[in-house]
Amino acid sequence: MAKKPNTNRTDRPASATDRQAKIQAAQKATSTGGANKITIAGVVVILAIIAVVGGVIWSQKSAEDAVGSGNTSPPAGATVAEGYRSFADVTLKPGAPTVTVFEDFQCPACRDLEAILGTTIADLAESGDIKLNYHVMNFLDDATGAKQSTPVANGAFCAADQGKWQEFHDAAFSGQYTEGTSVTQEQVAAFAKTAGVPDLSAWEACTSAGKYTAYINDSNESAGKLGVTGTPTIRINDQMYSGQTLAPLGTPEGFTKAVQDATK
Amino acid sequence: MSTHELTQTPTSDTARRERLLGWIGLLARLVLGGVLIAAGALKVGHPVTSKMAVQAYQIFPYELAGWIGLALPFAEIVLGTLLVLGLFTRVSAALATGLMILFVLGIASAWARGLNIDCGCFGGGGQIGAGQTAYPQEIARDLALVACGALLIRHPRTALALDSRLV
Repeated sequence: MAKKPNTNRTDRPASATDRQAKIQAAQKATSTGGANKITIAGVVVILAIIAVVGGVIWSQKSAEDAVGSGNTSPPAGATVAEGYRSFADVTLKPGAPTVTVFEDFQCPACRDLEAILGTTIADLAESGDIKLNYHVMNFLDDATGAKQSTPVANGAFCAADQGKWQEFHDAAFSGQYTEGTSVTQEQVAAFAKTAGVPDLSAWEACTSAGKYTAYINDSNESAGKLGVTGTPTIRINDQMYSGQTLAPLGTPEGFTKAVQDATK
Repeated sequence: MSTHELTQTPTSDTARRERLLGWIGLLARLVLGGVLIAAGALKVGHPVTSKMAVQAYQIFPYELAGWIGLALPFAEIVLGTLLVLGLFTRVSAALATGLMILFVLGIASAWARGLNIDCGCFGGGGQIGAGQTAYPQEIARDLALVACGALLIRHPRTALALDSRLV
């Protein structure tokens, strides 16, 4: 019984077999051979939206998660908006301009600037000729994927808690590690020792807890809002100097002149 | 693709031209899509840098620029993947071309305003030294990608594309 139709089919004339094959091919093409374009388009659009929106939420969250300890208060003597004021006990001369140095402890160009101008800037602050703020940034950790800017900045603010900001800052820039490499707690502690931080175990506890990470992140953000797009940037009163505009200030004489010009 | 090859005689000029365009189109898809995927992937995991890269152009309001910076890498990866797969080639190519034109305008605007920034096209970005800018090269590269996109908008039927499996 079952074999009979088969035998019949093979006996059919060639034209009939051809037509049958064409019909089958056509059915295959419309039903199973390809996916429905509109359905696929809908799926692709939905997946694309999920990918982009999900990616944005994940990115924003991972940026926020970088905030370590629960402490969100800035170090004593620092504000998110203006940074950390060094030589805060110095009496300012009348008309002394405010100089803000935007720096990332991982930035090689900042190390170069510190090597050339560091002493000049500190001397002008110590003599009351300028009000000196350091606005610390840490974007190079995000850019390079290394953990250097934030740990060193934490070390600096923990040293500031013990009155050794400027010493730690100077030691960290002169002994800066290669950009893009992560630093160990011991490597940061070497700066604290050079700076003469009196209570090293308290400093250690403060730094390893990442006490000022939240402040450092906020400080990076507030610098961006001020229009700082890279480091080093120097602001004298309301005038920003970076890249090309910073070049004329790149010598002790040039910097001193800019400060004198800004002194009222 | 397969029906073309079977029904047309190999010596037919139009068939040969179509087939050549199909393979050139595949190349354009892989170049444009591959560059987009690479550009996106290099930025994923660097959210702060991505935000700062767009903010450095000083075109959009600060907060909005940050959100654009966060979204761009993923949009680039999605568009790049569609192009490499050859899925909805014409629409994907049109969107990618639009994006590239916006990039060219952004870079040109930064150049014209005397900013010293890296385009941040493949991660990084933000301010760089005055002698380190590469605006002409960046614009030339993006214009070459615009050309790839334009070719695909004109001839969206390309070799080895998922489009050919859609009904």
